[in-house]
Amino acid sequence: MLSAVGIGYRAAIDDWTRRNLSSFELLEITIDHCMGGHPARFNIFDFVDRIPLTAHGIGLSIGTDVPLDLRYLDEVAAIVDRLKAPAYSEHLAFTRTPGRDLANLLPLPQTEAIAESIIEKVRIVQSRIGVPFLLENITYLFTWPDSNLSDAEFLNLICRETGAGLLLDVENLYLNASNHGFDPYAFLDALPSGLVQEVHMAGGEVVNEKVVDRPLLADSHAYPVPDEAFRILDRVLERHTPSAIVLERDDRLDAVDEILDDVTRIRARVARRQSWRANVESSFGQAGRAA
Amino acid sequence: MSNRLLDRQVGLLEFLTSGAAIFDDLDGASLDPALVGIDCGLLRLEARFSFQKRMAKVAAVFPRTFELLDGHSGAIIREFVSSYPPRDIGRLENARQFFDFLCGDSRRLPVLPPHLPDVAACELALAQVRANDLTRDTKQREHALQNAIRRAPGVALLRCSYDVRTILEVGAETDPVRREVLLGVASPVGADQPRVFELLKPVFDLLSVMDEWADAAAMVATPKLNELVRDLSVCGLIEVHP
Repeated sequence: MLSAVGIGYRAAIDDWTRRNLSSFELLEITIDHCMGGHPARFNIFDFVDRIPLTAHGIGLSIGTDVPLDLRYLDEVAAIVDRLKAPAYSEHLAFTRTPGRDLANLLPLPQTEAIAESIIEKVRIVQSRIGVPFLLENITYLFTWPDSNLSDAEFLNLICRETGAGLLLDVENLYLNASNHGFDPYAFLDALPSGLVQEVHMAGGEVVNEKVVDRPLLADSHAYPVPDEAFRILDRVLERHTPSAIVLERDDRLDAVDEILDDVTRIRARVARRQSWRANVESSFGQAGRAA
Repeated sequence: MSNRLLDRQVGLLEFLTSGAAIFDDLDGASLDPALVGIDCGLLRLEARFSFQKRMAKVAAVFPRTFELLDGHSGAIIREFVSSYPPRDIGRLENARQFFDFLCGDSRRLPVLPPHLPDVAACELALAQVRANDLTRDTKQREHALQNAIRRAPGVALLRCSYDVRTILEVGAETDPVRREVLLGVASPVGADQPRVFELLKPVFDLLSVMDEWADAAAMVATPKLNELVRDLSVCGLIEVHP
């Protein structure tokens, strides 16, 4: 199976997206943009049956230490159904507390106790949504002092216990590894083969702020995907066959040529890996699949 | 999860949305005990990033209002941050909070241009109408009576003390005329963007009460009224169901 390559739908480039729909094999739809009074919602449903759609959420805040909002989840389920999406993904993070919404993804303390509470919540999500649920790794600036599990250990524990898949955000992995000084390839090696079911690619930027003593990479979704992220993608494709690889772009959306270039580069990577696999299989038969 | 985690999360968000974290007014003693052990510089950066995203949403709705704030914007924004923590991810909700903050406290207004509340009200109305245009479900009309009219859904009616339409169109440098102006904000037929229309008082009053579908035959009895209905319909101020 070849990974489908596409972009995250953004209303600001709706016309351009429609004109260039043949350049993509799928669109990722932000579920929350299909809800209530969000301006994009009626345009979005036009894409159903015209191109495969996958569903991504930003509003669940699964990590907030309160019960899940079941009405929200039921609305998600209805939209996933209407989009005919094969999967629904959300961030392993929290964004809000009662009465306050930061609208930014924040990390959780990475401990077994917190993992257990997330596992319970993932099971609730799975019981209410009719398609596989994927968790996405976030980028984070700070960590909690009581975290005693690595990023991979925390994700693996939750995914193993629930059967949830991983939406691997390669840019987030790259930024975290760079900002916090760990090896992104060691993170990838710690994931069980096949866990990565979807991939996000994006380009960030370097920020120099006086409140920190070093330059940091920030996940701005504003620039072309960096070469290092493509190298990480290559490694991902060695052990996983994600069904979807989505380019995320939220700023400098007028630079549409950059979007198409990134999609082309991603597709070339996927095709090269597929061609390599085909060669291995024709040379070594089924045993080659293990490579 | 224990309540302790929620307490820590609440403490974290209170800190990240505080003026102390965003504007670097922090001394070591004010850090919430729940956050001890977290790199304070990184927390401040997180606070600043979140604040910038929020204010970008607000500024997108109020371009002329921000031009008018000019020299006052720094102090105003600091006060806004302190008194209106973010409650929602959405652009419009954050814009509404800013409008409530800006115009809800009469003590603040004397230092600002007197026409600023009118400009802000028009910009918020334009954003609301724009959002409503994109979300309007045309199926709603299926429930309408035959030959009925009503105020178009999402139309904003504003009573202003200044005629600020030139500011909205050209920029904040112009001085608006002080006079009571009755305005309707709507999307004209075939237009990409909503517009602001000045309305005569009888029309304003009529539109104010046209919440529900009404029998057009009963209301539109003269050629002049027919013409008015046609004009209001073209302006997007009323909806006519044949």
